Amino acid sequence: MKRRDLLAGLASVGAIGGAGLVATGTIPDAFSNGSETPEPVESTTLDTVEAPGSRDGEVTIPPDNQATFVDFFGTWCAPCVEQMPALGEAENRIGDEVRFVSVTTEDVGGSVSEERVVEWWRENDGDWLVAADVTAELAAKLNVGAYPTAVTLDSTGRIQWSESGIHTADEIVAGIETALNV
Amino acid sequence: MDRRRYLQSIAAAGTTASVAGCLGVLNESGAEGTVLGPPEQDLSEAAHPSYGDEMPEFTVPDPITGEDISTTDFEGERTILWTSFYTNCPDGVCPALILRLRRAQEVAAQEGYSDDAAFLALTFDPERDTADVLRKYADQQGVDLDAGNWHFLRPESYESSQELLDEHFGLVIEKASADDIENLEYQFPHYGLILLANKRGIVERAYPNGATVDIEIVENDFKKVVEG
Repeated sequence: MKRRDLLAGLASVGAIGGAGLVATGTIPDAFSNGSETPEPVESTTLDTVEAPGSRDGEVTIPPDNQATFVDFFGTWCAPCVEQMPALGEAENRIGDEVRFVSVTTEDVGGSVSEERVVEWWRENDGDWLVAADVTAELAAKLNVGAYPTAVTLDSTGRIQWSESGIHTADEIVAGIETALNV
Repeated sequence: MDRRRYLQSIAAAGTTASVAGCLGVLNESGAEGTVLGPPEQDLSEAAHPSYGDEMPEFTVPDPITGEDISTTDFEGERTILWTSFYTNCPDGVCPALILRLRRAQEVAAQEGYSDDAAFLALTFDPERDTADVLRKYADQQGVDLDAGNWHFLRPESYESSQELLDEHFGLVIEKASADDIENLEYQFPHYGLILLANKRGIVERAYPNGATVDIEIVENDFKKVVEG
């Protein structure tokens, strides 16, 4: 940035100074990457898909006052197919205690049709809520590394467990319990 | 008025927070020609380009648009976010790299600076990654090819991609056996580097852990550099 631009930028900040005593929370955030106590994740509302165990509508993640489990997948992703049986078992065991949802980061309704997702869901025996993160906004907030990625958030919306790769049902249940026991 | 005194006077005016948020810009140890201040971790000894270095100059075809793309084409025009990958990547690292570029592209569209941005994803597996394969991959990964700012780069041959990555990015790429993976003849062990370079062609950030680096950090760094 040229110094002159910079000064101009600061000057305009100065002009709104009084009103703008600003979200001072940004000071530590700007200088620390990954502090010890995670901040609650800002919620994102996604469209859900009409499919077995799921319905056409919306889901907000994280919801108010409820723990959440999110499985990030893609219909192009072979390990995600492998992950499905363990997800089904975990959902049977502990699905009633959390908001249990699979989320694809594909552009569903755009470059990937909703039918394709429904077909994949049926083929792999999905039987719980499935949603589309078409701009990958939730994936960005939860910092998806690879696919699949499993994330649990506690009832205050803080991430308690996040790990990419294929997990056993026991691991998924344990990850969810971590979020329930906060 | 020198910068330090200017800061003090602003601070006295009660806008400490805003100014502190800009300290990266003001940082006096910042490298020549950069918008961002130095990264927390000094990567200057790494084999790959890092903060303050010149973005490597090279020309590679974009097989989808049919153009030859040179990094120098973007000087004075667009901020660059670059990575290398291949579509057969079996472990999910490449989709994670592409996701970071895709999100920066998405944020650019939402905030109206698409035309100030260039997203360059270079395949080092040109034998398998043809134009059709790359187009399909873009659809799978939610990349917007119509935005006009995304270029897949496909070197003419495997050997030339090896040479390019070794010479310019310090990344050594070798085909390796993929016997353990169904339907895959060979794979490439590699690590996921993402580079952010400003319009002057100076590297602002190297993210050597590009597949896991915080997505919002990449989005925000990119935005700051575009707006710088």
